[in-house]
Amino acid sequence: MLDSLLALGGLVLLRDSVEWEGRSLLKALVKKSALCGEQVHILGCEVSEEEFREGFDSQINNRLVYHDFFRDPLNWSKTGEALPGGPLGALRAMCKRTDLGPVTIALDSLSWLLLHLPCTTLCQTLHAVSHQDSCPGDGSPVGKVHVLGLLHEELHGPGPMGALSSLAQTEVTLGGTVGQASARILCRRPRQRPTDQTQWFSILPDFSLDLQEGPSIESQPHSDPHISPVDPTAHLTFNLHLSRKEREARDSLTLPFQFSSEKQEALLRPRPSQATSHIFYEPDAYDDLDQEDPDDDLDI
Amino acid sequence: MAAVATCGGDAGSVGSAVATASKSNVTSFQRRGPRASGTNDSSPRLVSITGTRPSVRNGQLLVSTGLPALDQLLGGGLAVGTVLLIEEDKYNIYSSLLFKYFLAEGIVSGHTLLVASANEDPANILQELPAPLLDDNCKKEFDEDVYNHKTPESNIKMKIAWRYQLLPKMEIRPVSSSRFGHYYDTSKRIPQELIEASKWHGFFLPEKISSTLKVEPCSLTYGYIKLLQFIQNIIYEEGFDGSNPQKKQKNILRIGIQNLGSPLWGDDICCTENGDSSHSLTKFLYVLRGLLRTSLSACIITMPTHLIQNKAVIAHVTNLSDIVVGLESFIGSERETNPLYKDYHGLIHIRQIPRLNNLVCDESDVKDLGFKLKRKLFTIEVDSTSL
Repeated sequence: MLDSLLALGGLVLLRDSVEWEGRSLLKALVKKSALCGEQVHILGCEVSEEEFREGFDSQINNRLVYHDFFRDPLNWSKTGEALPGGPLGALRAMCKRTDLGPVTIALDSLSWLLLHLPCTTLCQTLHAVSHQDSCPGDGSPVGKVHVLGLLHEELHGPGPMGALSSLAQTEVTLGGTVGQASARILCRRPRQRPTDQTQWFSILPDFSLDLQEGPSIESQPHSDPHISPVDPTAHLTFNLHLSRKEREARDSLTLPFQFSSEKQEALLRPRPSQATSHIFYEPDAYDDLDQEDPDDDLDI
Repeated sequence: MAAVATCGGDAGSVGSAVATASKSNVTSFQRRGPRASGTNDSSPRLVSITGTRPSVRNGQLLVSTGLPALDQLLGGGLAVGTVLLIEEDKYNIYSSLLFKYFLAEGIVSGHTLLVASANEDPANILQELPAPLLDDNCKKEFDEDVYNHKTPESNIKMKIAWRYQLLPKMEIRPVSSSRFGHYYDTSKRIPQELIEASKWHGFFLPEKISSTLKVEPCSLTYGYIKLLQFIQNIIYEEGFDGSNPQKKQKNILRIGIQNLGSPLWGDDICCTENGDSSHSLTKFLYVLRGLLRTSLSACIITMPTHLIQNKAVIAHVTNLSDIVVGLESFIGSERETNPLYKDYHGLIHIRQIPRLNNLVCDESDVKDLGFKLKRKLFTIEVDSTSL
């Protein structure tokens, strides 16, 4: 999973801490992109250029385009080498690039930028840079842009961290146990459920990535053995199930307003006289046969 | 409050009312005999706007939110002139779905749309709207969903012992614009011709602000000012507030604002607790509500309240909105694996329902609601575990 991190594009946050540093992972990913033939830009703000380039061979070093903001961040020496606008101007210039092809921009570090620039401006610029490929104005396919940002999570409060997390497509949190580094990768695809994976890895001296299986974890007993679901139809005083015979009887029942042909004929057939029932009536002594005056109180 | 003329006062509105009634056959009652001439007609005619209906409780004009289940929970629908605020879930999956349902309902009902976003181009948002289900397909989709869960032996057509079985089946004309509340298929995209036939305006913040602009600090964030001006222009030019007497049919403006309050709008309310623009969002909502109350429009706003650092702001925002619905999804939380919640993808909290021209509000008795995104439908159910 870690090696396919760059396949998605967008903003990738590498969150490290004091115990687990992330610059070596950043350099490993940079080396990988350079070897893939992508154009790589580095915004170096935290460490010097020599220190960043240390460990890379000359082939990779030639492919890196390094923007140095460590030596002279506010451009006091006015040599004219530094880009106008500082790191923000450099990022904005990358928004308007004209050449096609995939590009990787490594920010070393995003924490430095967060501390020196207002958070909202930084978020807006990062969004503009990382979403270039989704809006091809002239119709030509623009290559994917990967922005790798190194973020020291202990330096910032929950506000900026939350804001940057919501912007990022992928978040890699570094951690691990003694002697083994792990990366927890949270991948947010737009409109899909985010995936969460943990990958154990180590970085070799030449900054290539070595993926490993995790250290053996002793199997923990499952807490709370799963309670079997209670069957609510177990102890009822009435019968909820039908046997086969009962079901057949129910199916063969004709409903009162369902007219089958036999019923229709039986109703339409003229009634045979012997089949009808008769009422036999013996008039009682007290019965009044005068239908017009049943109460017998008319004085006519 | 935006009111709908119920009886023709002057000849102009009566004339337009007749035109309305004769153009769209909204009722199935047909008048026998020759229709009386429009100018001499003294019977009151209801000016009906497609896709709206008056509330059964107090006659307030309502529009559908796109989800009939949500309409029922809100007391019939969203009142015209009010704001529906959706508190986003953590990964903004389900809240964007509700946003899209609202817009899709607007397209199907023929309303004008205004889509504002700082992170996505409105044209792309419109391309991803779900496809509406027409009447003859609707039942089939439902049955498909329902039968998937049933065991085969219960798959028997129910025998009805009443006389209704003999009655001829009623043909429901598949005229979608005369209904209130439609169902959508989230696995399909809305057909392109529906989008092209609809009228919509888009507001994409990065296009409106040039990056080198030097913004002087003021009480409202610049992005909000531009958005309010844009909304005001549209309302005025298209006559939703009655300023240009409309000869054509009245229509509703559906406004959708995505991710309001996120740093991409230039608001630092999610970044710090006491920032420079801490009152920017509340002022925006106040002005927006004023614009909405004087026009025939309804607005949906999604806001990432889980990122807002200052909890007092959330309370202010809730007070300044009319309906507030909070979504809490179980992704990534410990509830995802909890067997109690295995039927649901998250919980819906109805945090506020307004009292519009009323002393009481339409609160439903049920407070625990869960939602589930099935393969094609978004369903809201009463959380059975709480009973």
